[in-house]
Amino acid sequence: MPLERPTFHEAWYRVADLKARLSTMVRVSRQTYRGQVWYVLENVSSNEYFRLNRGAYWFVALLDGRRTVAQAWELCNQRLADEAPTQGEAIQILGMLYANGLLYAEVPPDTQVLFKRYKQRISRQVQGTLMSLLYLKVPLLDPDPILERWTPIVGRLFTPLGLVAWLILVSIGLWTAVGEMAELVASSREVLSFPNLPLLYLAVVVAKVIHEFSHAFACKWFGRANPSGGQVHSMGVMFLVFVPVPYVDTSSAWVFRNRWHRAVVGMAGVLAELAIASTAAVTWVHLSPGVFKAVCYNLMFVASASTILFNGNPLLRFDAYYVLSDLLEIPNLGQRANAYLGYLVRRYLWAIRPIESVAYSASEAVWLIFYGISSFVYRVYIFIRIILFMNSRLPQGLWFIIPVMAASGLAGWVLVPAGRFIKYLLTSGELAKRRAWAIVSSLSMICAILVLIGLVRVSDPWPIDGIIEPNRQAVVYTLADGFVQEYLPSGLDVQPTEGVIVRAVNPQLESQKGQLYAQLRRLQVQRQIAQTEEVALVQILDEQIQAVEEQIQRVETDLANLELRPPVPGTWISPDIDKIRGLYLQRGQQIGQVASLDDLVVRATAGQDVAAMIVQQADRTVQIRPRGYPQYLLEGNLAQIWPAGLTSLPSAAMGMRAGGKIPVRPDDPNGIVAAERVFQVLIEPVGQWPQVLRPGHRVVVRIYMRPKPLIARWWTRALQVFQKRFQI
Amino acid sequence: MRDPRPAWASGAKGQIPQGLDGLWARGLGVIAALRLTRNRLLRHTKCVLALEQRYNSMTDARLRQEIEDLRVAFRLGRDTYEDWYKAFAILREVAWRQIGQLPYPVQVMGGWAIASGAVAEMATGEGKTLTATMPATIAGWRGRGCHIVTVNDYLARRDAEWMEPIYRFCGLQVGYIEQGMGPADRRAAYAADITYCTNKEVCADFLRDRLLLASKGGQPSWLEALLGGKGSDGRLVQRGLYQAIVDEADSVLIDEAVTPLIISSDTGDSQQVEAFRQAADLVCSLSKGLHYQVDMEQQDVELTDEGIWRLQELTAGWGGIWRIGRCRNELAVKALLAKEIYGRDKQYIVDQDKVVIVDDFTGRLMPDRQWRDGLHQAVEAKERLEVTAPKETLARISFQRFFRLYRSLAGMTGTAREAVGEFWLIYGLPVAVIPPNRPCIRQYWPDVVLTTEQAKWAWIVREIAKLNKIGRPVLVGTRTIRSSEFLSNLLAKEGIRCQVLNAIRHKEEAQIVSAAGQLGQVTIATNMAGRGTDIKLGRGVPDLGGLHVIAAERNESGRIDRQLFGRCARQGDPGSCQAIISLEDELFVRYASRLSSFVKLRYGPTDRNIASPLTSTLVALAQSTAQRRAYRLRKAVIRMDHWLDEQLSFAAEYL
Repeated sequence: MPLERPTFHEAWYRVADLKARLSTMVRVSRQTYRGQVWYVLENVSSNEYFRLNRGAYWFVALLDGRRTVAQAWELCNQRLADEAPTQGEAIQILGMLYANGLLYAEVPPDTQVLFKRYKQRISRQVQGTLMSLLYLKVPLLDPDPILERWTPIVGRLFTPLGLVAWLILVSIGLWTAVGEMAELVASSREVLSFPNLPLLYLAVVVAKVIHEFSHAFACKWFGRANPSGGQVHSMGVMFLVFVPVPYVDTSSAWVFRNRWHRAVVGMAGVLAELAIASTAAVTWVHLSPGVFKAVCYNLMFVASASTILFNGNPLLRFDAYYVLSDLLEIPNLGQRANAYLGYLVRRYLWAIRPIESVAYSASEAVWLIFYGISSFVYRVYIFIRIILFMNSRLPQGLWFIIPVMAASGLAGWVLVPAGRFIKYLLTSGELAKRRAWAIVSSLSMICAILVLIGLVRVSDPWPIDGIIEPNRQAVVYTLADGFVQEYLPSGLDVQPTEGVIVRAVNPQLESQKGQLYAQLRRLQVQRQIAQTEEVALVQILDEQIQAVEEQIQRVETDLANLELRPPVPGTWISPDIDKIRGLYLQRGQQIGQVASLDDLVVRATAGQDVAAMIVQQADRTVQIRPRGYPQYLLEGNLAQIWPAGLTSLPSAAMGMRAGGKIPVRPDDPNGIVAAERVFQVLIEPVGQWPQVLRPGHRVVVRIYMRPKPLIARWWTRALQVFQKRFQI
Repeated sequence: MRDPRPAWASGAKGQIPQGLDGLWARGLGVIAALRLTRNRLLRHTKCVLALEQRYNSMTDARLRQEIEDLRVAFRLGRDTYEDWYKAFAILREVAWRQIGQLPYPVQVMGGWAIASGAVAEMATGEGKTLTATMPATIAGWRGRGCHIVTVNDYLARRDAEWMEPIYRFCGLQVGYIEQGMGPADRRAAYAADITYCTNKEVCADFLRDRLLLASKGGQPSWLEALLGGKGSDGRLVQRGLYQAIVDEADSVLIDEAVTPLIISSDTGDSQQVEAFRQAADLVCSLSKGLHYQVDMEQQDVELTDEGIWRLQELTAGWGGIWRIGRCRNELAVKALLAKEIYGRDKQYIVDQDKVVIVDDFTGRLMPDRQWRDGLHQAVEAKERLEVTAPKETLARISFQRFFRLYRSLAGMTGTAREAVGEFWLIYGLPVAVIPPNRPCIRQYWPDVVLTTEQAKWAWIVREIAKLNKIGRPVLVGTRTIRSSEFLSNLLAKEGIRCQVLNAIRHKEEAQIVSAAGQLGQVTIATNMAGRGTDIKLGRGVPDLGGLHVIAAERNESGRIDRQLFGRCARQGDPGSCQAIISLEDELFVRYASRLSSFVKLRYGPTDRNIASPLTSTLVALAQSTAQRRAYRLRKAVIRMDHWLDEQLSFAAEYL
């Protein structure tokens, strides 16, 4: 029947004559969520909670053990009309209450079903445990007495004064951390290294113990104002990804009347962790390197990272999520958000009828849509980030964790939902009429996505690091020994034809020149004499004259070389030129450079992984982004690639030691020899470059590879991650 | 000797395995079927036949002595293969001596399969009644009773009386249950070693017993007995469900499986009765398309928002149930269903100012059944009949569930192999295909497919006239009473006399059907009329080519088509069959509307036969869609039952 809520149910006869009533173990509290009245039934003995709407509660409340179920239902219908539960709903309510021991009916219990249910519960627990081995909980002790004793003291932290103190502490911590950002980031490289792991774990345990106790104390503190008293009776160890960490059960806070109390209890852990992180940051700054400093660093890392990324972030289902869900008065926010998105598809895309909206009001719907989408995106994002982070930081020995994590993420978020979706598409009863359309639309959606990532070619930019260099550049060496007499100051533009950069004098050469000329003259005279007297001597003298002339030539050149001229046009750069005045410079000494500062190029380095692609498929035009000047987006042309594979970097700035991306050899003191061979790529600029860019400036060069589908791009990048990891 | 059925398929609470469990269960099914391959059964049969010499010379007294020994072995549950061989051999001999029929080897094979807890697929006319005596006797010897479930009262009685000599010789008592029997007779019949009954009677008796037990506080009967309660024991008619052999297993266990059997009482709620009448008037002022939409494929009616609004407007100021929006819409939808979907002489007929349901599957009248949830009342209101008060359910169980309660179950039918998976997954029954005694020489004439209904009937009349001229008997199977009457009118115009079968009295039906093989006879029957009765060919008929069967429509399952075709060419007789269908048949309209309208467009209006591979595909598609939908529905019913059990575990274990 195409009815949203059919009034009658075929199995009604089985409950109609039953006389049932609520068990004495039930405590009822009335709560308002987003303007809707709900009744929360609490099973005092098992600490479980159920929520009934008004109609359902009316029906249940009418069951007093004297009326039959049928009578109660009739009464309900008379009073509430449409709001009254249908027979089917009534059966469901009764079944749920009974299954949880909240309903008392005078019938002999069905032992078979009881045992079956027990078995089911056990097997579900086992299943649940296996499925969530990642979140296994082992209760160990009852912390209530300890909490009872200390709450009056510790609880004061949850007062306005405590809040002020907390704010001050956290501000100081934040201030400190921002000041030391660079070092903080640099130290994070070591966080997942083997020697640090025990410290890290210690930090996790300390942070979590304080976190959990903070919850517990908050619960006890605010519980004093509530009739339930905020009992905290269960504490133990939770295996979070196989790593044991402590936990405390503070679910009794859920029935607090004041929702801000519930919120503070929920956020207490996060607040405490932020306080820890701040304290640790301040301590860390003031300590000299050592174990204790490392402990502080780890503590800070754990407490802040876990807060910002997980517990304090409502997009993941941790503390803040529950608080947000409570404050928004939308219970099960996450599940309902997903259900609502599904509902939208089913209702508007597939036009399934009858269908009941998941949202109770328009504003709730907005929240559900917003939350559903943003939490999904964030979850995927954070998951990929964590995997990449761990991939770059985890020691080789623990690398196996990454594929395990990736596989479990893939299974949990892709394969299982996909399987469920396919099953739903093929077998769901509600799709009976629209199955064809639902399948067609889903398939076309999938096809569209596949085409988008598998066929549509998009440009594929690869960023590599580069450094700006002058196009022409010549080092100026002294060509002859001499005393510096005159020189050009650094920074002037020079041309090879005009001007002398450095003029030196060498008196020794001058006198040598004089001597040689005198000697020459003597020899020429002797030769004239010999021509007439002794012809045989002429030949010898000729040779001597020639030798002297050669000497003169050399001295002349040396003298000319005392005047250094710029080898290429450009700017004369010699920062220390002032120090050479009057100095005696020996031949071959470097005194400066001439470089073309208005004619710059970029020299970039690429690892072997990228170089092959650059050679084969790069577009000649590239984009250049100078670091520190986000406003400039420059263009360039690929000029030349040296594929031979060099190990020396164009600049130490590109090596890892100086903050670049390329790993350098540890034994090289200058940090300029790359650990692996790198390729150098020369890029010529297009158009005029802004004046601020000088040689030595670091840039990111985006090289556009041949456009290819996203899937091919992801595949190459994934391969490269592997290759890097395994040095293939 | 007998393997117990798998856990999931026995008892009311077993869950149908799903996912990986389902695969595993199917695997087990394949293994279970391996025990019942033709070769294995043949091997056992050879061992049985080898003992023939030994027993055919024995005196009756000596034979009785042998039987007594065997009975002890079976009673104690210490039977071996050796005992089974002896039992089957003795039973053949007894059958020969008592009723003059010596079971064929294929009947022994079938009997063996049934005794091993399987569904034996034996072609119609292979002597299933006799076959069943062998496993039934063995079950009788075990001493816990055996129900042989037949499709109608007439057959129950006929078979019981027919086979009684065999059972009596074997030291067993036989009883049968008939409609209208008193509790004392029923009790006596159930107390017999072997009870012939119909599925409806046995199930209804079970429910009545359960109600009786429920009134005693819902204790299981054994607990009651332990507590010394004699009160209910004296009034219960059944003594427990131990073994059942289900004849026509596919129709009982599959086609009718989800039909619930309901025991109800009148509520006498006059306010509601009035509301139904008002609703019937009310919906006349709603217009199709604007206020509601009709989905013939799903047999559904849907109110539009406009319609809901209009209803509210129309009923403004009305009191009682009309004030509740949900109930108001519900009443209107019921009235619309009655108006748009449920047609007179199609889904129901009006007989003596009463609405009588016509079974969709069998075309049979169901005078004691009512539609649920007010639909029946809505139809009555539409027909301006006296609206009966809605009945209040006291107890209900689906046949599916009921038969799963048997400790051991077996079946026989003419058509089972299409439903192997379902037999196994739901009932834990493997299927054994038993070859016919004599090879079948049935001729399948190619289908005739026509575009319009009109052309179809014309074609059928021509075909019948042609065959009638030469004197060949013809049996036409139709799906609905209306079409069978329509056809008989057409034939009357042509001057052809015919017998129409759609009555309720099984005995006469059986007689007419058995006469359908006479020279020059034309019989029109709804699908399953007279099942279980042999159509013997009259003198001279085999020379003309035997009985010819015409299916005037394809059925929702190929299985049922096969049943109809199986009525000719039995036991090696000659015979032929043909389906003459049109694109306007309900099968296509409901299950392949798009493709069929495409085909119609392709051929245009024509009176030609348009049979082609395309139309065969169309039939296959429609039938598989129908099958899938029906199977899904049956699974949903089981799942629903389980859900209810979970939900209602506190309420009534006793149903």
